[in-house]
Amino acid sequence: MQASSDTIAAIATARGRAALGIVRISGPEAVVIAAACFEGADLRGAASHTAHVGYVASRDGIRIDQVVATLFRAPRSATGEDVVECSCHGGDFASRLVLNRMLEEGARLAAPGEFTQRAFLNGKMDLAQAEAVADLIHASSSLAHRVSVSHLQGRYSEVLADVRADLLELCAFLELELDFSEEDVAFADRERLEALLDGSEKLLDELLRSWRLGRRVRDGVRVVIGGRPNAGKSTLLNALLGNDRAIVSPVPGTTRDEVEGEAEIDGLLFRFTDTAGLRDAADAIEAEGVLRAERAIERSDVLVYVYDVAVGMDAGERAFIEAIAERGAPPVLLVANKTDLLRQDNGPINDEGQPDVFALSAKRAFRDEKELQPLIACLLKTAGGDLSLSEGSLVVTNERHRNHLRKALDAVRAARRSLGAGSTGELLALDLRVALHEIGAITGEITNEDVLDQIFSRFCIGK
Amino acid sequence: MHPFAYDVIVVGGGHAGTEAAAAAARMGARTLLVTMNLQTIGQMSCNPAIGGIGKGHIVREIDALGGIMGKVTDRAGIQFRMLNQRRGPAVQGPRAQCDRVAYAAAVREELEDIPGLFMRSDMAVEVCTEQGRVTGIRTQIGQAFHAPTVILTSGTFMNGIIHIGERQYGGGRMGERASTGLTACLEKLGFESGRLKTGTPPRIDGRTIDYDRLEEQPGDPSATPFSFLTDRLPEDQISCWIAYTSPEVHDALREGFDRSPMFAGRIEGAGPRYCPSIEDKIDRFAGKDRHQLFLEPEGRNTYEVYVNGFSTSLPEEVQFAALRNVVGLEQVHMLRPGYAIEYDYFPPYQIRYSLETKRVRGLFFAGQINGTTGYEEAGAQGLMAGINAVRYLQREDPVVLKRSEAYIGVLIDDLVAKGTDEPYRMFTSRAEHRLLLRQDNADQRLTALGHTLGLATDARYERMRARQHAIEATRAAVEAVTVSPDAVNAYLEQVGTDPLRRPERLVQLAKRPQVSLDDLLDHIGRKEELVTPAPGPESAARQIEIDLRYEGYLDRERDLVRKMEEMESLRLPENFDYEAIEHITLEAREKLSKIRPDNLGQASRISGVSPADVSVLLVMLRKRPVRKPSPSPVAT
Repeated sequence: MQASSDTIAAIATARGRAALGIVRISGPEAVVIAAACFEGADLRGAASHTAHVGYVASRDGIRIDQVVATLFRAPRSATGEDVVECSCHGGDFASRLVLNRMLEEGARLAAPGEFTQRAFLNGKMDLAQAEAVADLIHASSSLAHRVSVSHLQGRYSEVLADVRADLLELCAFLELELDFSEEDVAFADRERLEALLDGSEKLLDELLRSWRLGRRVRDGVRVVIGGRPNAGKSTLLNALLGNDRAIVSPVPGTTRDEVEGEAEIDGLLFRFTDTAGLRDAADAIEAEGVLRAERAIERSDVLVYVYDVAVGMDAGERAFIEAIAERGAPPVLLVANKTDLLRQDNGPINDEGQPDVFALSAKRAFRDEKELQPLIACLLKTAGGDLSLSEGSLVVTNERHRNHLRKALDAVRAARRSLGAGSTGELLALDLRVALHEIGAITGEITNEDVLDQIFSRFCIGK
Repeated sequence: MHPFAYDVIVVGGGHAGTEAAAAAARMGARTLLVTMNLQTIGQMSCNPAIGGIGKGHIVREIDALGGIMGKVTDRAGIQFRMLNQRRGPAVQGPRAQCDRVAYAAAVREELEDIPGLFMRSDMAVEVCTEQGRVTGIRTQIGQAFHAPTVILTSGTFMNGIIHIGERQYGGGRMGERASTGLTACLEKLGFESGRLKTGTPPRIDGRTIDYDRLEEQPGDPSATPFSFLTDRLPEDQISCWIAYTSPEVHDALREGFDRSPMFAGRIEGAGPRYCPSIEDKIDRFAGKDRHQLFLEPEGRNTYEVYVNGFSTSLPEEVQFAALRNVVGLEQVHMLRPGYAIEYDYFPPYQIRYSLETKRVRGLFFAGQINGTTGYEEAGAQGLMAGINAVRYLQREDPVVLKRSEAYIGVLIDDLVAKGTDEPYRMFTSRAEHRLLLRQDNADQRLTALGHTLGLATDARYERMRARQHAIEATRAAVEAVTVSPDAVNAYLEQVGTDPLRRPERLVQLAKRPQVSLDDLLDHIGRKEELVTPAPGPESAARQIEIDLRYEGYLDRERDLVRKMEEMESLRLPENFDYEAIEHITLEAREKLSKIRPDNLGQASRISGVSPADVSVLLVMLRKRPVRKPSPSPVAT
């Protein structure tokens, strides 16, 4: 049997709203890695085809999610290798955390179709199945193509091409010195190399930072709406979801994620959550409530906190908001609701140096679309960060891409360190090749001919 | 035995042909080397030098396997240098100027020493086949020679055309006839041919050079041999000299541009970009007002000098006038002009990794016929073709070196998987596992294989083992040593690195790029005590220093190698129907159908085949029963 040397992991279930998400890990270290993340029975000693309830916990012991881990030992598994499947509760956010945990323990993110590859390599799949999978790979990539934000696509390739061009130039400079040191050409000085490395590092770093936004583009922006029972949360929620601008979808009953509804605003999907425990959180009475609220807020991209403008926020609420502001995440938008009961102008007001406060009437919003516009504009701005979607900014939406970009950035940084330490060119070149290779894994261009092409076109080589 | 029957026939007596014949005969095959002129066996057609960065690596590998190039270079060398000494060990390569006449004589002697190797002066005009298998060759005088394997190493001779200015005539080298007939015969067998071009500079009379006006380039004071078997090199080295072109020289050359066969389009074949003619250089890099020229002596007993950097096909009088404008060459006498030569090659997608052609069983191609340039690239292919012709006769699996095992593996993989449309030369940047494939460890990488094949002698093998043991013993001794600041700081300051504040392990110090472990041990007076003398070109201490410096990186490279090997172990069936796979791009389908890679790793390196295509292939492989990869014949 063809034994693969490394262990791969991925989310096996479809993205989106679902009651369960399954993270699958396969390979020689599958059981060891799963056991390291798992709080419960010792999976390492467990028999094949057994299920175990427990928790996936972070390295420092914080529980991420309650899961059911099902163990399949080689060769009696889908891939023919040791396999552990973790059924996570809640949507794909929980699954993603669990997946990240496994990657942290040494699993590698599976390439598209890789489980299938292993399955067929180990004789677990017959011809018809394999062909069906080939169709699926094809379909899913064209589907992925269709759903990708097309107006962003062109720019993305351009920036990647820029990164690649910079790295190629760097490699060309280094290789020139290594392969053609006998030639009468000027070699790059340290400053030049440093400047090029800086440029690449900056571009890669920007791309990676856009991942947060990219994830929002793909998976939606998580907005938690909080506030006291009578603050008018549900009216606001309905106003946000209502009208012809919004696409409302019914929410399958997940108990954890408590998504109340989704709306597409200016091409961005917003997923609104009303956390029941939040009201208690402000009072900090019930421990379980606090925990759940904390967790919901931690997962969210924006917190919209609603209060009755006539009543104002009490000390508990203010302390709660301040604590979040101190942590720096998520950004908080305050809504001073029920202005219809006062007689006051709509618009952002400054409430004693608090975060943005929007005085509005959710009730009025059903009659007048404009009522919510300042809030929505701010939501869009907050969710989009400094990368404004309307200007066609660049975002990374694909997790595989993000992984490659991160490795590329690591490699560029390693090259920086090597340069600083006075290492010789072939070591720098190795790091840069890794970086180029990672970019190539995204763009599909992997060739060391390109470096030579650069050298020959730019420098007069040859005795 | 039939007087005209052999096991292996090698056509061509250049660097590919001689390595091929030597290897085949050493492995026990009755071998015939057929060449147009027995006086030019082992001829250096172009510059009188062997090695360089990348190329020197290949020579070390040829030598480690038991080939002849390294030994011959050590015998015929007149100047030895290790290039890139200020850069990392992986990119250092040995280079030698050779006495052209002594080199050819030494090659001839090597061949004559091998029992079972016969030579014959004649021109092969036909490759004879029967039912897709080679049966021998026929020569121009109509003589047939029979053999189940034939290795073609035709160099620049097949339909060679020499260009000088507006003149052009048939020839394989200055003053030698071209070989005709073979291309037509091979095309009739279904092969596709192409045209390539290369060039050579003028040769000048050393007595007419004003050396006082030139810059001297001496050999290394303590020269390193090419062969792992050589202990001592000739001591009296001869210098090369550096001259420069100038705007005046360029103007003189431009006078002839209207008569240049290159610019007029009379030359169809693609030339090597890294070895452009001087007219190309001043045309493409017009902003550069001088180019370096290396005046290389052609031998100990001749005044002939090779003008490296001045390759040209301009009219003779233009060459001459331009040369006389070079400072130091005002009175120069030209022995013969430079010229360009066009010749036939066969795009290498038509060969297997064994160098056997896909179309005709038992027929092998090696050297320039596959689109390469350079003695070293040719020699490496000749060696592998010789080995694999014998493996074929023995009905054994071919010996295929991996990209992670040798530059020779990189070379052949590049040719077969990527093809080439310009003369292919080796560079270290072509090797993704550059830190593993060093010239200093070629013996450790390949001598065991050469020995198993019957190429590397017992003595060579024992020497490699002794070297290995010396390195291990020295490493153990050095590992245990901690040095005090007092003992080493004077040395550290001298080489320009930070002094120690507290005692430090010696192996930590040796990792610093500035430190030479040999010198450091000398400095603390413990060299004799700690270093076990190792036979071969590098000292045991140097070897350890290299290992230490690359330690973390080598682990990373091995990791990458392991991943690639998994892909390589997945065989693609020979008659796999790529056209039927709808899920891969049209370009990938075409390339795969043409090249027909042996395994998935090779497929992944073909330009135009994307990682997504590879994923689909992986799945589609199941369409046919997967054959287990046969065990490498010599890996164990």
